[in-house]
Amino acid sequence: MSKLANRPDWADDEEFDDPTALPAPTITTNKDGTKTSISYSFNDAGKKVKTTRRIRTTVVRETVNPRVAERRAWAKFGLEKGHGAGPSFDTTSVGENIIFRPSVTWKKDGKEEKPEKDSVKAQLKDKKVKCRICDGEHFTARCPFKDTMAPMGEDGVGAAGGAGGADGGDEEDPKVGGLGSGGGGYVPPHLRKGAAASGERMGGKYERDDLATLRVTNVSEFAEENDLRDIFSRFGHVTRVFLAKDRDSGRAKGFAFISYADRANAAKACEKLDGYGYGHLILRVEFAKRAT
Amino acid sequence: MRPILLQGHERPLTQIKYTKDGDILFSTAKDQIICAWFSANGERLGTYHGHQGALWTVDIDPTTTLLASGAADNTVRLWDVRTGKCVKVLELNTAVKRVEFSEDGTQLLAVTEKRMGFLGTIVVFDIKIDVDAEQSSEPAMTITCDESKATVAGWSYLSKYIIAGHEDGSVSQYDGKSGELLDNYPAHEDGMPVTDLQWSPDRTYFITSSKDKTAKVISARNLEVLKTYVTDTPLNTATITPKKDFVILGGGQAAIDVTTTSSRQGKFEARFYHRIFEDEIGRVKGHFGPLNTIAVDPQGRGYASGGEDGYVRVHHFDKGYFDFMYEVEKEQARG
Repeated sequence: MSKLANRPDWADDEEFDDPTALPAPTITTNKDGTKTSISYSFNDAGKKVKTTRRIRTTVVRETVNPRVAERRAWAKFGLEKGHGAGPSFDTTSVGENIIFRPSVTWKKDGKEEKPEKDSVKAQLKDKKVKCRICDGEHFTARCPFKDTMAPMGEDGVGAAGGAGGADGGDEEDPKVGGLGSGGGGYVPPHLRKGAAASGERMGGKYERDDLATLRVTNVSEFAEENDLRDIFSRFGHVTRVFLAKDRDSGRAKGFAFISYADRANAAKACEKLDGYGYGHLILRVEFAKRAT
Repeated sequence: MRPILLQGHERPLTQIKYTKDGDILFSTAKDQIICAWFSANGERLGTYHGHQGALWTVDIDPTTTLLASGAADNTVRLWDVRTGKCVKVLELNTAVKRVEFSEDGTQLLAVTEKRMGFLGTIVVFDIKIDVDAEQSSEPAMTITCDESKATVAGWSYLSKYIIAGHEDGSVSQYDGKSGELLDNYPAHEDGMPVTDLQWSPDRTYFITSSKDKTAKVISARNLEVLKTYVTDTPLNTATITPKKDFVILGGGQAAIDVTTTSSRQGKFEARFYHRIFEDEIGRVKGHFGPLNTIAVDPQGRGYASGGEDGYVRVHHFDKGYFDFMYEVEKEQARG
């Protein structure tokens, strides 16, 4: 058994005979006129690599001015003396692509661009630094009332849940604003003043037009989408009815969204149906708020 | 189009010239060597050594046998294009600002600077287009510009006239045989030097550029201004494109002000104007300094520009360039 183990397997014989031997490269001509060349080599790690190339030969005939062709073969001289054919990298490089499209309106196009830039500049010129807390001409962070006052118009955001009475009265009695819960507390970016308007929402094209969407709450749990559709389509074309349902029981969760094609219809429906008795409950209808 | 950048010079470029077949281009800069490049791939064929001063100008004879160059060392040199050997040194009194072969290559003019008590002159030499021939050292003709020195000059069709652009913005017409002043016309604003003069393919008209921010196409026969191209920057160079009816202008803020301006404000772009309608139709960016020289391939395939930044940029036009036509041109082509 040990003798056998020392002996190489007869199946591997060929390879073990001469590990550096490579099969001869072959070139075969295919039916479609291409050639397949197979060659073998060793890569850096010493492994045998088989390279298969399919080669299509295309003959491009070009007529060259004989004078130019002759000059092409001239030997190099001066600083280039002795250098081989082809551009050398220290003198010749390729620049970035330039898109050059001549156009009759070139000048006009150029002019349109400029005023835009100027207008941005002009806008910024008149802009002054304005404190969000006291309206003074300094950065909010530098405001002397920073620790004692909430930013203007934002009083309710943080304080409402806290001390209860912290609406608007902050200026007279800063302490009511509540340490921690008031203006000094952390306000997540999306809740900050102006964030909803300026921030760009994700999910671009899936964003619905919320302008004509009503939120209906206090809906009976036995309600059906079709019933709601019947009720609401009295006021105009309803594009979408969404009734939130419990996944397990299949019963309504108690709220729904109704989208109209037209905002005017939505407004009318909102006005008429708010307080409308449906099932055993009284509906509450309001315009849906943009999801934040 | 993808420009090819040639970095063979260490100083600002002064002139670029293509051979008649457009396969090789020659560039001179203030660093005393001339470079020869294959325009197709930007490969450098070689360099010509021998000048002892800043090179101002270069020209190639129509058969691509002899190369002429003029430099601040007061010499014009003739070179064997193929080997890079200097075959003749022509000594002059002052620096040479411009050389140009006549249409047939048998005559060479050189514009000399007004300096050291010498007036500006245009000197004409007879040339034998043969590398081994003995060239005459004596000028065949000397034209002295006593009013305002010539900055640029060239031969018209059939060597009939010598046209010169002057430092005061005027353009003169001299007889090609006798050197007699036939006409002088103030083409550009007074006191604004003519910076470049290049010919149409048939040499019946030429384009001049000037520091007065305009370029003009002028007829060689009667110095009539045919077209005017108005820009917003001092111009250093102008050229006429064959095949398409365009002109290419180059310039920018004077080199001395360059460091105080951004590349956009400096307006370091090659500007394309329609030769007939005089409208600006496009610009090509790329240089970091003013464009000192633009040359166009006589076969109309591309152009090369050389800047104060020491780079040569070789451009090969693409389809959009050749396809561009005005509506009226399209109609004409259809009819």
